[in-house]
Amino acid sequence: MEDLKRIGLLFMVMESHYRRHPLQALFLFIGLVTGVTLWVAIQFINEHARASYLEADQFLGAQATHWIKSKDDTGIILKDYIKLRRNGYRQIYPVLEVRLTSADQQPVNLIATDLLALPPIDRGEYRDTNNWQSLTQFPFQAWYPASLAKRLNISTGKQLSLSSGISLPPALIQTRKQQGERIFMDIGAAMTVLNRTSVSYLAVAGLSDEDAISLSRLLPSNLKLMTNEQVLDLSELTQSLHTHLNAMSLLSFAVGFFIVFNAVHFSLRIRTQTLTILQEIGVSVRSITLAIAVETLLLSLLGTGFGLILGYALGQALLPVVASTLQNLYGAVLDHHLILQPIVIFKAWSLTLLGLVLALAWPLWSRTRQTILKQRELIVEKSEDRKILKRFTLIAFGLAILAMLMYPSLSTVTQWFVMLALMLFSAAFILPVLLALSLSALQALLPEKSWRLRWALSDGWAQLPGIRIALMALLLTLTANVGVDTLVGSFRIALTDYLQQRMSADVYVQTKNLNLQKLLQSPGLENHHLRYLVTFRWKKRKTLIRGMNTQAPDMLVLPIAESDPEGLESWYGNTDGVILANEQAQHLSGIKLGDHVEFDTPTGLHSFKVVGFYYDYGNSTYEFYLPFDRVKQYWPKAELQPHIAVWLKEEVDPESILLDAGAQPGDWLYSNDILQVSLSIFNRTFAITAAMNVLTLAVAGIALFASLLAIHQQRLPEYAHWRSMGLKQREWLGLIVLPLGVCVLITWGLSIPLGSLMSILMIEDLNVISFGWTMPIEWRWEPAAHLLIITTGIVILTLVISLTQVRFRLPQALKQLGGDNG
Amino acid sequence: MLELSHLSKSYQQSDSSVIVLRDANLSLNQGRSAALLGESGCGKSTLLHLIAGLDRPDKGEINFQNENWTKFNEKQWNQVRRSQLSLIFQQFHLIPTLSILDNLELQARLCQRLDMDFRDHLINRLGLNDLLKRLPQQLSGGQQQRVAIGRALLHQPSLILADEPTGNLDENNSKTVIKLLVSLVKDAGSSLLMVTHSSSMAAHLDEQWYLRYGQLEPA
Repeated sequence: MEDLKRIGLLFMVMESHYRRHPLQALFLFIGLVTGVTLWVAIQFINEHARASYLEADQFLGAQATHWIKSKDDTGIILKDYIKLRRNGYRQIYPVLEVRLTSADQQPVNLIATDLLALPPIDRGEYRDTNNWQSLTQFPFQAWYPASLAKRLNISTGKQLSLSSGISLPPALIQTRKQQGERIFMDIGAAMTVLNRTSVSYLAVAGLSDEDAISLSRLLPSNLKLMTNEQVLDLSELTQSLHTHLNAMSLLSFAVGFFIVFNAVHFSLRIRTQTLTILQEIGVSVRSITLAIAVETLLLSLLGTGFGLILGYALGQALLPVVASTLQNLYGAVLDHHLILQPIVIFKAWSLTLLGLVLALAWPLWSRTRQTILKQRELIVEKSEDRKILKRFTLIAFGLAILAMLMYPSLSTVTQWFVMLALMLFSAAFILPVLLALSLSALQALLPEKSWRLRWALSDGWAQLPGIRIALMALLLTLTANVGVDTLVGSFRIALTDYLQQRMSADVYVQTKNLNLQKLLQSPGLENHHLRYLVTFRWKKRKTLIRGMNTQAPDMLVLPIAESDPEGLESWYGNTDGVILANEQAQHLSGIKLGDHVEFDTPTGLHSFKVVGFYYDYGNSTYEFYLPFDRVKQYWPKAELQPHIAVWLKEEVDPESILLDAGAQPGDWLYSNDILQVSLSIFNRTFAITAAMNVLTLAVAGIALFASLLAIHQQRLPEYAHWRSMGLKQREWLGLIVLPLGVCVLITWGLSIPLGSLMSILMIEDLNVISFGWTMPIEWRWEPAAHLLIITTGIVILTLVISLTQVRFRLPQALKQLGGDNG
Repeated sequence: MLELSHLSKSYQQSDSSVIVLRDANLSLNQGRSAALLGESGCGKSTLLHLIAGLDRPDKGEINFQNENWTKFNEKQWNQVRRSQLSLIFQQFHLIPTLSILDNLELQARLCQRLDMDFRDHLINRLGLNDLLKRLPQQLSGGQQQRVAIGRALLHQPSLILADEPTGNLDENNSKTVIKLLVSLVKDAGSSLLMVTHSSSMAAHLDEQWYLRYGQLEPA
């Protein structure tokens, strides 16, 4: 009880500092909260994105691994579906896709499914109740995406009349992108209204190879089980988004950590005098530690609480950007309301507490090792600062050596991130040393008569202990910005070139409604490319073999990454036994140029020599190109791909040719549209990265601001002394601004090579083990220049505000210096 | 009774060793006050720091009321500083963010020896009645030193160590503060050892000791 009272009294003494300096407390608190906010926002989005992937995986068969279709394309009767469900295949669900015509002759597509039959998610659990309810609908209701509703002039509650005289149920405008430009209905209602007795197909989610064999055996003779090959190739980009979100989350963790560290470090530094007085009057370090622990706990709870609220709001604000990306990439339903996950709350609190405890551990530990007299000296001793710099150097070298030791054996994305973190922290710890050395070197270089400059640079030594942690956070942010900007810029150029090269046809047409012969005989057709597709598993991964017409226009300029020229020529010449592989097969399965790959084909085991690798961005599978005839030779039952690339003569109207050949509106896509969609998906994918970059930079700015404010407040008596010696305001400003400017410039300068190194490692290595693709590095000056402008802006703003504060308080400090305490 | 026996202390300075105290001896009876005089840098403050446990002697013993303080660990030293002795410094050492009243009461509250009547008596004697709600920086040097004296006395310690308590004050203020300090110490029955370089200030105390060449000699 006595101890508790003492701790309470000490806590009151400690927090009296914040009561007397509310502005300082406010900015330290802002630093703490913004660090948590940023991290929390990314975590919320990340977790939400993961949840969306799971949801997308099961919804409407967009990512169903298999389909069950009738061999004569007449649909599947419900009796067969029920029989399969009763046999334990709960991952099967029915899908009805119908093309309708409205009363005013507009084509309309409708999709329906049984929401209650949707399969469990991967972990074997049904999605949570709230979300589940959000997907259900009244049976007699039709959901229209806003754009379709607008086109059809349908508003909520209105019924769409069809040309057949039937009216669809009342409309609900509910945009769920995975339903595309289609009306979505409950399957029972759709079948009743449309008078259907069969569904279009059954979708099967998460079917293993073994299950696929046993399911095939169960199917009636009129049905066939087939792999879903219409999965969007671009879905792999979601992984890219995820990787970037993870990287940004780690970065914000690091910056948040530095800010928390900075805030606590300052609160202790500024209260050193109080702590020493307390020890002089007999307070033990243990009691002080306990009082600080109470303060830490309160700070962590407050910081986490406010950080969570703001992080949730920020996450909510950024979510539409991520949502549109996911919807476009994945066709996923994305709930626009973030869920507050307990794990995020716990992680946020742990982060704050970890930062606080680590920030406290060192000063408290050193306090226990020093006499009270020594602690007094510490406040002013430059030699003690040198000792700290020595420790920083040791830590920096230790981390760098650890990173270098890790480098040769890196094999997973997590290991890579750990190595990058070690590298970044190593650089962050060496920064204060570099700054100190630079200030000393500049000071030594200046001639004797430049006494003002020498004074200003020596003042850097007084500023450094206070701002070094903020500058370390700034370095992390700037480095990540340069690194990520270079990565994104390089990827953008590589993807654009690749898409332009690959999407060389005028139109891509689905073949399901097409009279292929009629199209091929059309006089307006200049060229076409119809390909075989074989799917199987090879080296534990889904693998595709595409049978290509080697003379098709899009084959003449293949995006080759590496090749054996003679071998490539023989591939173009349809030579037997040579094959091209995508980069994913090269980097993820480990095959090299000239290696032989063996495939178990229906005609036996066959070996093919790899004569080239091609870029294949956005693809998650291993893929090989064989000449068209060779595929038919080894896989006699190979099926043609469900779409065809078409080149048309210049004067021809594509729509009329395609409609003549039986294609229906919506069956074709223009290559330019695909390119634009892909690039806009790309832009949206990285918009979140850019937003987070800017926000992280802002957080580092706040850390710098809080540090400067605290330093100036602490040095107020010193400034008063200078002014009393006749130092003009301009000179005084110069003294403070010059060393700070030098420090910020050096920090920015260091971030350029460091950011470039980071981008090289991310592009050359991390990207390769993550996705299996490579790209050329495109380094540009613009991002670095933009960052310099932004950083300078932050520093100027920071200086203006904190120096205004100082000016406001300086007259009082001068009065005190003169002994007027009136 | 405070008794220092054969106390030695030296510091290492780059490549040489500076001897501050060499076999120094002193005894001060309970309730007595003594001034410690000597030239600047002769080690007066070091001696005070050794007695207060802020620094450790190389050799010798510090005995107070039959306890050998030199054998104390940090926990025992904390106990001593909290309840048995008080320190008064030239720079006042008040907590800048606490009010005058909070500063005054701090040490007494920490050792749970706050006597409200004695507090009011001290406040009256120190003339701090109208200043209690102010912050230290809003007070003059003399006023701040009176607060420091009040804080040092409020828990009625057995020994008070003062390190040039008037070093920051003008002559008039110095005389007032010293007279007040000596008188209050007498009232409390405490012992006082005060470092000063002023003979006139030292004259207000019962005994005067000189520190020369690391050794203590009575005046």
